[in-house]
Amino acid sequence: MSLLLLAYRPFLDPIPLDRHWYLLLIPMSFFLAVGYKSVRTVDMRKFWPQVFLFTAQLIIGLFGLGIGFYILVRVLLPALAPAPL
Amino acid sequence: MSTKPDDNLNLTAGILAVVFPGAGHLYLRQTRRAVLAAVGVLGLFFSGMFVGGIDVIDRKEDKWWFLAQAMVGPLAFGVDAYHQHALKAYPLDPNIIAAGEMQAADLERLTPRALYPGETRKTIDLRLNTPAGQMERTIAYIAPAGPGQGPPSTKSIGMMNELGMLSAAIAGMLNFIIVLDAFFPGPSSASREPR
Repeated sequence: MSLLLLAYRPFLDPIPLDRHWYLLLIPMSFFLAVGYKSVRTVDMRKFWPQVFLFTAQLIIGLFGLGIGFYILVRVLLPALAPAPL
Repeated sequence: MSTKPDDNLNLTAGILAVVFPGAGHLYLRQTRRAVLAAVGVLGLFFSGMFVGGIDVIDRKEDKWWFLAQAMVGPLAFGVDAYHQHALKAYPLDPNIIAAGEMQAADLERLTPRALYPGETRKTIDLRLNTPAGQMERTIAYIAPAGPGQGPPSTKSIGMMNELGMLSAAIAGMLNFIIVLDAFFPGPSSASREPR
């Protein structure tokens, strides 16, 4: 465990997870799905399946956006406007 | 069946939903929805603070983000007030601290800010010179941290700051949807609530 993580005070300091920030999208997507589906699900017996489906859709969507922007910035834009030598 | 939206308006539930996430649905006797809505909104809000620290809730330095975060309700304003008054400090000139007095107008021009590592928060009783005379006020100021000292909370920067602010802002926008659902509890929102 790094010294930074040992010195971390929850809710007062930023958590030192800069290298693994993308993992934090999972709880964010989950809580968003729980809150949204709490008022949008008509049949509450299907609540948890809908929450997990929506969480997965959010994560896959964000992952897809990441890939799309990576291709745009690293492949398409350099091909359209090459940096001067 | 009525088509006028006013017929579905439930003012009490809406106001309660504004006061605390999920309270509107609790009033509507939809306990399960109320608890889940509160878990969603508060989970996002507090996980934002958990990731980025309390610095992600800042009415003065991140006012556009706070516009969205404020929709969580009085809780967001309470966290911000604690952040502004109990954790931030004025960047005072060391000469002013040594003299123990300054012009009140000069103090008004300064803005308290969050502290960085290597800084600590101290208080001083300053004599403030005003056109009407002198007044004494206890001011929190930023000082270099000594051994074993540190800031009461750390300034959040980079990706953790962005994710934390985003999470708390999404909590506010999500609560806006939940508040609307409490104001207008139509047949699509909760007609099959299990008893």
